[in-house]
Amino acid sequence: MYQSFIGLEIHIQLLTQSKVFCSCPVRFGDEPNTNVCPVCMGYPGVLPSLNREAVKYGYVVARALNCQLSPVTVFERKNYFYPDMPKNYQISQYAFPIGRNGYMDIEFRKKKKRVRIHEVHLEEDAGKSIHAGDLSLLDYNRAGTPLLEIVTEPDLEIGEEAEVLLQNFRRMVRYLGVCDGNMEEGSLRCDANVSVNLRGQGLGKKVEIKNLNSSRFVRLALNYEIARQEEILSRGGTILQETRLWNENRDITEGMRRKESAHDYRYFPEPDLPPFTADEIFLKEVEESLVELPDQRKNRFLTQYNLSEALAEFLTAEKSTADFFERTVGQGADPAAAATWLSSDVQKLLNRQGITLPASPLSPERFAELLVLLQEGKIHGKLGKQVLEILFQEDKSPAQILKERGWEQITDLGTIGGIVEKILARNPHVVETIRKGDMKPWGFLVGQIMKETGGKADPRVVQTLLKERLQASSLYLLTFGGAISGRRDRDGMVVPGGSIAIQKILQQDPAWKDRVRVEELPGEEILSEEITPADWATLILRTASLLQEGNAKGIVITHGTDTLAYTASLFHWLFGKAEIPLVFTAASLPPEEGTEAAQNILQAVELAAQGRGGVSVVFGGERFEPVNLRFSSLDPMRFYTWNQKRIRKEAPSPFPLFGGGLEEESLRMRIEGIVRRVFIVKVFPCMQGEQLLSLIKAGVRFFILELFDTGTANLRQSPFSLKKAFEIGKQEGVHFFCTSQQEGIVDFSGYVTAHALWKEGAIPMGGLATESVYTKLIAASLYAESDEEILRWMEANSADIG
Amino acid sequence: MSSMTRWIGLLSDPKNLETYQRYVETIEPKIGAFLEFDPRRGLTESSAEGPLKGVPFAVKDILAVKGFRLTCGSRILEGFVSPYTATAVEKLQQAGAVVVGKTNMDEFGMGSSSDTSFYKRTNNPWDLDRVAGGSSGGSAAAVACGLVPFALGSDTGGSVRQPAAFCGIYGLKPTYGVVSRYGLVAYASSLDVVGICASTVEITAEMFTHIRGKDDRDQTSVEPPVKAWGNEGAERQVRRIGVVTGNLGLEAGVERAYKTTQEVLRSLGYEIEPVELSMLEYYAPVYYTIAMAEASANLARYTGIRYGYRPEYAENPEELVRKARSEGFGDEVKLRILLGTYVLRSGFQDQYYQRAQRIRTAIRKDFDRVFHEVDVILSPVFPTQAFRHGAEGLDPFQQKVADRFTTAANLAGIPALSFPAGLEGGLPVGFQLMAPVFAEDLLFQVARRFAGVVPPPKAPTNTSPWS
Repeated sequence: MYQSFIGLEIHIQLLTQSKVFCSCPVRFGDEPNTNVCPVCMGYPGVLPSLNREAVKYGYVVARALNCQLSPVTVFERKNYFYPDMPKNYQISQYAFPIGRNGYMDIEFRKKKKRVRIHEVHLEEDAGKSIHAGDLSLLDYNRAGTPLLEIVTEPDLEIGEEAEVLLQNFRRMVRYLGVCDGNMEEGSLRCDANVSVNLRGQGLGKKVEIKNLNSSRFVRLALNYEIARQEEILSRGGTILQETRLWNENRDITEGMRRKESAHDYRYFPEPDLPPFTADEIFLKEVEESLVELPDQRKNRFLTQYNLSEALAEFLTAEKSTADFFERTVGQGADPAAAATWLSSDVQKLLNRQGITLPASPLSPERFAELLVLLQEGKIHGKLGKQVLEILFQEDKSPAQILKERGWEQITDLGTIGGIVEKILARNPHVVETIRKGDMKPWGFLVGQIMKETGGKADPRVVQTLLKERLQASSLYLLTFGGAISGRRDRDGMVVPGGSIAIQKILQQDPAWKDRVRVEELPGEEILSEEITPADWATLILRTASLLQEGNAKGIVITHGTDTLAYTASLFHWLFGKAEIPLVFTAASLPPEEGTEAAQNILQAVELAAQGRGGVSVVFGGERFEPVNLRFSSLDPMRFYTWNQKRIRKEAPSPFPLFGGGLEEESLRMRIEGIVRRVFIVKVFPCMQGEQLLSLIKAGVRFFILELFDTGTANLRQSPFSLKKAFEIGKQEGVHFFCTSQQEGIVDFSGYVTAHALWKEGAIPMGGLATESVYTKLIAASLYAESDEEILRWMEANSADIG
Repeated sequence: MSSMTRWIGLLSDPKNLETYQRYVETIEPKIGAFLEFDPRRGLTESSAEGPLKGVPFAVKDILAVKGFRLTCGSRILEGFVSPYTATAVEKLQQAGAVVVGKTNMDEFGMGSSSDTSFYKRTNNPWDLDRVAGGSSGGSAAAVACGLVPFALGSDTGGSVRQPAAFCGIYGLKPTYGVVSRYGLVAYASSLDVVGICASTVEITAEMFTHIRGKDDRDQTSVEPPVKAWGNEGAERQVRRIGVVTGNLGLEAGVERAYKTTQEVLRSLGYEIEPVELSMLEYYAPVYYTIAMAEASANLARYTGIRYGYRPEYAENPEELVRKARSEGFGDEVKLRILLGTYVLRSGFQDQYYQRAQRIRTAIRKDFDRVFHEVDVILSPVFPTQAFRHGAEGLDPFQQKVADRFTTAANLAGIPALSFPAGLEGGLPVGFQLMAPVFAEDLLFQVARRFAGVVPPPKAPTNTSPWS
């Protein structure tokens, strides 16, 4: 079993006005050799003068990385010849860098790690060589740009961790405003060193990798290199200590042409610059330059504004977005609304125009005004979106826009009430139909009223008034197969049934008689073990449309016991944020065979009539959370919750409310699209992991691995392990979501085999049960446009709130 | 300052300018002080007013003057014209003084004869077969034969003081950092200072007040504490002069003059105290270790890529650099780069470079101790008088050993003034006074009084009507 050690050397160009040792501007993209002077061109007789701003930025970064700051920092000459380096020595730091012994915390796949920072030092950048045919051209515009080098200890193990560290670091320096973090343009550069050795034997031979100009390449190159070195070692070979280059076209690392000799940089203190003393005034300036960093801000957003993990992550990814958000909220806008609008409609407009939020015409003040108008019900959502679009085009306040366009909404109850009466009087048949329980013409009525007011009536007021008038708000019961809507045939077998038995139960109860609208889904009679993607699509879309129509007070779904854990959790992911209760229930026997079904149904209806919003399950007089359900058929038959203690933390749905918006056919296809690529595998001793290869070959890209105890599996080099599956899987873009066969939390801690799984890229699903992971994957696929997005959703949980 | 009056306004008058040029044209061919001479160009860069209005001065070709070439006596900077002006020069120009030309020197300041220059040989105004000293030989010779009242030089290990002594003039090496090094081509950055060659103490002192002061473009420059300058009323008086004694290995004539000088100083009322500089034998080795180490880095920038000498043809950038340096540098420079590279190698630094730095600290402390007992120190500048050109003179190794008296002030960062102390065998002899940091005034004070008894000699080639 091998261990890998990765350290990074990160260089960032500091966003100072002028270069680090002269007053030339730091600016890119200008004509070659225009931002130069005798100093940065290394002319005879010139001397460097240290830019205090650059030193300050250096100290700010070192401080943000929790380094010990040097009270006195010293510059040294690093001597080597290179045509684009004007003096043929680089002014850098060696014995007394700006900061030392810092750390940065990262987390990848639930494994938290404190990566030690070896040092932070300031130096000057070189120019650029351009080789054109048999000409070598030099541009010294970049020469003398302040460059901060951050060196980590070899505390990282896999490419993914390095990628996370680099992304966090990039976000941090952008927050601090010291670097724009652009890897393509080279303002953030990263070299990596990696060594592999037998576990427990310490560092191996160090290989340096260069030419990594995106965080993705860092991940790919490191993982390639670890695999390459492990392969050499396992053949009994030795690793050559060398520098290798990442070849992005071939996705491999390649040895550089061997250098004639190792560099001896002959460091010695720069006699042209006195040591820099960080006095009290300077250190105070450094402290004042520190800002709340992304992670801190995200955590604050989670608690202070009660936002979801995904929204908090979105808002804090860029400091400018977070600032914008907080200014909007400061103007009285509701945080949840502000966050949702920013992440959806505002983002859409920004994408369409190809601009960033700070560069857009939208101001936090106007945005807040718009949101407050919506909050106060002065305009409705659709109008809000139109106003937002105009805010991007015209320099006017929302109030002005509404006024100019005559879009001010009619919210007056009296006015609208009069119109409602008029329309109802005009359509007695329709009123009759609806009173009988057929809601189909509801939309027609709303449309008539809106038409009468020229579209200006507040639709929410219209809905409320209509509901009052027609007493339409009601409970719904959707049957979805199972014994609870079944009956026993002549051979004594339970067969699917319709809703007649259920209707009877409700009609016989004086409390609910005529108060529950029953619909039979999915259209044909099924038992719950027979669910197909089309069935799920039907149920999902009907639920979504009930939620949208707004007439339902609560929804009960009757279901079979054996797959209830799946459908209930799927609904939780999709509709967990519903404002009304969605209650699942089931029965082990058909209604005609005892009181169980009737009791469960009536309890569910009761809960649906008065419970809180979101999805729950009622069975045998108990209420359950919809995720991690397990069914026990022993007497008494009952449900219980897997990892009961943990589930509060895992349960909140990270997804926004599923709004439908799809044809049933296309939803079915989307579900089919994902289930075709999913497979659930329970590991067992002596399992031949290579058998998974045929599944991969057949198109499976998402495995849900039910592991032994909290995250262990065989990963040895043997046919009876998962090794090969992971190896091939990695090449094919296969992902492994891991759950456990025992209760407990899968986080890959504690065992070396679990750690190996983590290294291979397996995704720990914490305390979630296999069934809930499977449905979360289906839900994720409905929100995501790519596999990467699916991964992000799968890893998203609402942290440890509540 | 009677010595200066005849020079003031000289170049501002076109008729006088012509007279001046004619004088230089008669003397210069014999001496070879200048690498470039063009007072008219110099005029365009100087202030038309100021206390030094129209005063000609020469600048060692190691200091940048906009529009003038800047070769450092090296082929590798052949044809390079400076796009900017050194701070020290700029300050004089602002006071009205006019750069008339750039003076010859040992290549990059590395030598004691000015003979390592790629371009020409500078002859001693007292004896044309002898060297004018180095490395600021051209500046010292130009002053000695009356071509200019003063000239700027640079002093890394004695390069102003030794040629001043050889030519019978004054040579000031100021406290490290008091004069900005911006525009002074670096040889050894922690030792280099801009120095002054002048015909009288008064001119030396006056020019020093013009060029000193902190400069934002040189962060190692310092503003000396105000009190150290001494104003007229409260001038510190030198009472005790420490005289370096022991087996100094001086030439007979120098030895004799050294004794006489001590007598003269005693007769002026100074207490003469023998002092022993316990670390004298370390000066030259420590100096060369540090100077070469720094030089190896400082001279790395000369590659023929951006300026200076470029070989006709090269296959690739690496070959271009190799050829430029191989053809552009002289032997002495190559030797020092190689030695400097050697002492900085990893694994050897502790043995050489860092050890030299530790001894340098000890040398500083040794001077602190001595200045506790005496106000200034008198010491030889060089063991010999001006030696002959070529093989009859001193070989490069002997020259390096002979630097032991002058290098002390550079290692300790203290000011030192070389002053003429009469003639021996028809050639001038000079000695130096050293003082604690920022105490240049003490040096001028003693030298001025000494000159009252032993006036500076006038070289036979000096027929200048202005000096």
